[in-house]
Amino acid sequence: MGAAAVAASVEMLEALAIVLAVGMTRGFRDAWVGAVTAAVGVVLLCLALGPALLGNADLHFLRVIVGTFLLLFGLEWLRKGILRLAGRRSRTSSYEEFLEEREALTEATPVSSGPDWAARLVAFKGVFLEGLEVGLIVLALGGAPGHLAPALLGAAMALVLVAAIGLLLHRPLRRLPETQLKLGVGVALTAFGTFFSAEGLGVEWPLSDLALLYLAGVYAITAWLAISVMAQAVPMAEPA
Amino acid sequence: MRSLLSSLRRLILGETWTIPLGVGASLGLAIVIRASLPSAAWEAAGGFCLAAFVLGVLAYSLRRTPRTRR
Repeated sequence: MGAAAVAASVEMLEALAIVLAVGMTRGFRDAWVGAVTAAVGVVLLCLALGPALLGNADLHFLRVIVGTFLLLFGLEWLRKGILRLAGRRSRTSSYEEFLEEREALTEATPVSSGPDWAARLVAFKGVFLEGLEVGLIVLALGGAPGHLAPALLGAAMALVLVAAIGLLLHRPLRRLPETQLKLGVGVALTAFGTFFSAEGLGVEWPLSDLALLYLAGVYAITAWLAISVMAQAVPMAEPA
Repeated sequence: MRSLLSSLRRLILGETWTIPLGVGASLGLAIVIRASLPSAAWEAAGGFCLAAFVLGVLAYSLRRTPRTRR
């Protein structure tokens, strides 16, 4: 539940940054139309694909598929997190994303009357892509037997949290340690991915589910070592 | 539409081909090792083999990464 909640939170924050930027520069009506359409699209896509993907599959095969997706997401987040904390890339920030998106939209020609389709499309694309990532992570984490309810609960908690931040406008975005959160999610998803993939291939982990903890520990230590080594090799990147 | 599809590809497979190819190779190698080991040995040690391959993929994906803004 924790991994789903944190993963969903950071993705939803990125979507929120885009919607706020569109709303503050081009009008909240068009921003919400784009965002709500995208959110409904993601939910419908997950409802259509989820049961088809998870319903009738062999349990071992399903674990390998779920594990593979979690490894793809987890390793990518882990790689980016290490590069950012080592100074090879600028750190992620929904607030910076909000500023960039707002600047780009301000420079674009405003619409005098009628629906602002450009604004709706920007909000739609941002929410659809980030929402799809949330949907895939929740489906992957919830795909293992008994894990669907905690994964959905985690995503619901994230939605409430991000909605509350949205209501308080964008200021809290500045204070979130997003890079560290994403690295933590990368560690958790990679540990889950390794665990499920191996179980799907017939492995019996020593200490059963506690294997998730020592796997996460190994990945976290590896990430920390990689950050230390890479940070010594290059100077810090300039802030974005 | 093209940019949306490109974003979708990046979303699922990541920014580089190293990780998807590495994950695929790791699972393929794990299947080969499982077939060549006695069942009990694989059940006990297979997970650690896979974890080691995953660490290898991560380490390889970090090699010679150029500095970029995002």
